[in-house]
Amino acid sequence: MVPFLLSAALLVLVIGILAPLAAAGRDMRSVRILSLACTALSSLALAAASLIVLLDGDPVTIFLCQPTPAIGIVFSLDRLAAFFTLLIAGISGCVAVYSVEYFDHLSGNGRRNVLCGAMNLFILAMVLVVASATTVSFVFFWELMAASSFFLVMYEYANGETRRAGVFYFIMTQLSTLFVFLGIIALFAGTGSFAISPIILSSSPLILPAFLALFTGFSIKAGIIPFHKWLPYAHPASPSPISALMSGVMLKVAVYGLIRFLLDVFAPEFWWGVLILAAGTVSAVLGIIYALKEHDIKGMLACSSIENVGIIFIGIGLSVILNALNLPALATLSLLGALFHSLNHALFKSLLFLSSGSVVHATHTRDIEHMGGLARRMPYTSALFFIGAAAIAALPPLNGFVSELMIFVAMFSSIPLVDPFVKVLLFVTLALFALTSALSAACFVKAFGSVFLALPRSPESEDATEVSSLMIVGPAILAAGCIILGIFSFQIFSLAGFNLPLPDMFLVGVLLCGTTVLVYGFLYFTTPHAHRVSPTWGCGASAQKPGSEYTGFGFSEPIVTIFSSVYRTKKKNVRHFYDAKECLFSDGIAGIDLIKVFEEYLYIPIAKAACRTSAAIARFQNGCLDTYLLYVFVTVVAIIVFLGWSA
Amino acid sequence: MNGEFVAYCVINALAVLAIAPLYMSLIKKVKAWTQGRQGPSPFQTYANLAKLFRKEVIYSPNSSRVTRVAPSITLAAILVAALFVPLAYVPAPVGGIGNIILFLYLFALARFFMALTGLDAGSPFGGMGSSREMSLAAVIEPVTIIVFAALAFVFASLNIFDMFVISAASAFPVTPTLILLAISLFIILIVETARIPIDNPETHLELTMIHEGMILELSGKNLALMELAAAVKFTVLSALLINLVLPFGLVTTFSVAGVLAALLLFLIKGAVLSGIVGIFESSMAKMRFFRLPSLFVMAFFFSTLTIIIEVFA
Repeated sequence: MVPFLLSAALLVLVIGILAPLAAAGRDMRSVRILSLACTALSSLALAAASLIVLLDGDPVTIFLCQPTPAIGIVFSLDRLAAFFTLLIAGISGCVAVYSVEYFDHLSGNGRRNVLCGAMNLFILAMVLVVASATTVSFVFFWELMAASSFFLVMYEYANGETRRAGVFYFIMTQLSTLFVFLGIIALFAGTGSFAISPIILSSSPLILPAFLALFTGFSIKAGIIPFHKWLPYAHPASPSPISALMSGVMLKVAVYGLIRFLLDVFAPEFWWGVLILAAGTVSAVLGIIYALKEHDIKGMLACSSIENVGIIFIGIGLSVILNALNLPALATLSLLGALFHSLNHALFKSLLFLSSGSVVHATHTRDIEHMGGLARRMPYTSALFFIGAAAIAALPPLNGFVSELMIFVAMFSSIPLVDPFVKVLLFVTLALFALTSALSAACFVKAFGSVFLALPRSPESEDATEVSSLMIVGPAILAAGCIILGIFSFQIFSLAGFNLPLPDMFLVGVLLCGTTVLVYGFLYFTTPHAHRVSPTWGCGASAQKPGSEYTGFGFSEPIVTIFSSVYRTKKKNVRHFYDAKECLFSDGIAGIDLIKVFEEYLYIPIAKAACRTSAAIARFQNGCLDTYLLYVFVTVVAIIVFLGWSA
Repeated sequence: MNGEFVAYCVINALAVLAIAPLYMSLIKKVKAWTQGRQGPSPFQTYANLAKLFRKEVIYSPNSSRVTRVAPSITLAAILVAALFVPLAYVPAPVGGIGNIILFLYLFALARFFMALTGLDAGSPFGGMGSSREMSLAAVIEPVTIIVFAALAFVFASLNIFDMFVISAASAFPVTPTLILLAISLFIILIVETARIPIDNPETHLELTMIHEGMILELSGKNLALMELAAAVKFTVLSALLINLVLPFGLVTTFSVAGVLAALLLFLIKGAVLSGIVGIFESSMAKMRFFRLPSLFVMAFFFSTLTIIIEVFA
């Protein structure tokens, strides 16, 4: 049953890739609908297959081909792979439903067909990365995923900003492939096998470089600081369904890679866990601090993805540490927290990206300072965004809270059991994790408040109208997922065979709803219903203007001041004078700019060094025949000398 | 969920609702005494709430559904959090009720809705209040979680019910670590309930207000619900502090007389704590907003000190 469903799903996806590519020249809505229907259909089949594997627990293997005796293309779906397949399938299905109407609003005629095809290729590549049972097919489909996503990012290539984002993304994603490739070569050199299976000779000196290379490769793809810079560029540049897929799903494929190699290949040591935990904590804290400063709605969501991937890495790192300290039950709890947070983040982040796509479509701007008042104009979209914001801010009883709670409980419970050094480490992480969680609540109060509440701050927002039905249905399924996964989390884990020390969120949900209804009902029947609509007090001004509202900048100002050491600014003051003694001022520029610390102190120096090195090397290739003959001569002499030496 | 637990829920929620407004008046009374004034009657807050519930509600034309539903949800979240902290009678916990992390996040839920209400009417005061509230909440959160982690460490449990049972069973529970934790808990109480030196609940000056700013545009029963929620929050956090440090009188088996006596005892202990809060408020001035993080760092050091004592003792 499972192999049939899997092959059928993949076949349908291939149809979804080829059909729109064949019709690329003409702008045909029917082809797009066909292609997206293929996406939705294959998502259903994939979800069914992975649910069967998840509940049965028996891994399924599909043998595709064996080009050489050492290298085989084999796919295998065990519970871990099935979990991530379910994640990919669930999100892609909803994105496909949303895209049917969203793509109609995009410009670019026939290119929209190509976009559908490339999106299906991207989804196919992600599914096959997760299903890969050999390192060769893993890296092959990893690269296919990277390449197809590059085309998706470059959709609006006419825009200079998009081209810059695309090139940035391309370089980062190729770096990621490079490191994954290096890691896999090191693994092969150390073990002599391309299978993703436990290392028997754990004493090989190549194991550590293999882990470090793989960890770097996966971190680049997952957006861990300091490799995070591509996210705030690539996400705003691409169409919203693509951002949803990249942020919701592609980052999780990197998480999958890390978990797969940690669990199945390596025998992780204690300090590997500390490394992952530290990387996760730094990403979580800095990610959300950067998100608070963003006023591009999609840029803000991208920064918040950095934060959430950081939380997932905290869970993974903690689990490695606890495993190394021989506390398997808590390690499992922490790893389950990381896995559950992957799924939850996929759900609420794609929900937020899709509903912000609707908002951007309705207001024609990505700047939250130009939105406002949309709750009354777009009631359904605002409700959906609200559910996403509440889930990502970890409010009970929604799903984001449950996964953070799992990591919190693992930390709280392990503190008494570990030695002092780990205790201190855990306390520091715990404090920073709590800070992250509270800052993300502040960030999403700001986002929801600025976008949806109060008065509209631009004429476009004033005239915004609700989007069409399919653009509500897609995110609505995701929102329902957020609520169901939160409320029934305890029951779901029991069903999967994990008895976790968690509160029953169903009970909490019933209590919350029951109390709200009681309070509301009690007041409804006991107090008068008289109400009146009267203008907000404007301090004596005759009419309230949008300009007097609190802006998003103003909202995050206290946090920016408190964390001013993180937001480094640069003061610029250039003055020109008429005379040599600088007395008569002619003109000048002054400004305070935010320093992009990582970009200015890490990325650009590396890029400049690379440019200098290549410029130095390029001098050897001067196009002059005599020089090349000289090279040949020198090489021949060198070979003769070398051979004479070794003989 | 058994009958006994349902009875506990109803009793605890009603008791909290009944007691909470009294403490608000008591703090005002103590502050008035220290200033040489007569002060309001201890029952003034009840009268205020009753008046507000009877008045008509005024909505801003800019406001959305958020303003209509947020007050009920805020009070509901705080009331559910109140179930996590038994005032007088500690039953066996059911279904994870009493989990200390969930308790903290129920407050976060209430705060989220309150902050959105502040932004909803488009008034600059509301935005100012929301912004300040969320910023302070973010900075105090690491302190709170460390204090709660220290509590979980000291009592070897994540559940507030279990902590109370352990503390009630020991003859003399006040240990040095607990005193240090009590200081941190007191600072958390002051911050979370928006009192001097964090926020001044008495004034409506735009330069100072945080909590009052968020609810400035509310009126009638919506305002009453928010005021009641703030009062209940104060009582719940006081109960956490009192029942951990001075648990005598707390009953763990159900009997009508025992529960009534314990409630009465709690009423007195809470009144004393309200008096202390009143004197504490009178003895200091409102701090400048950006000086507050240093106060939180102090609380952070107290809790870290506790942990170091516990860890290396």
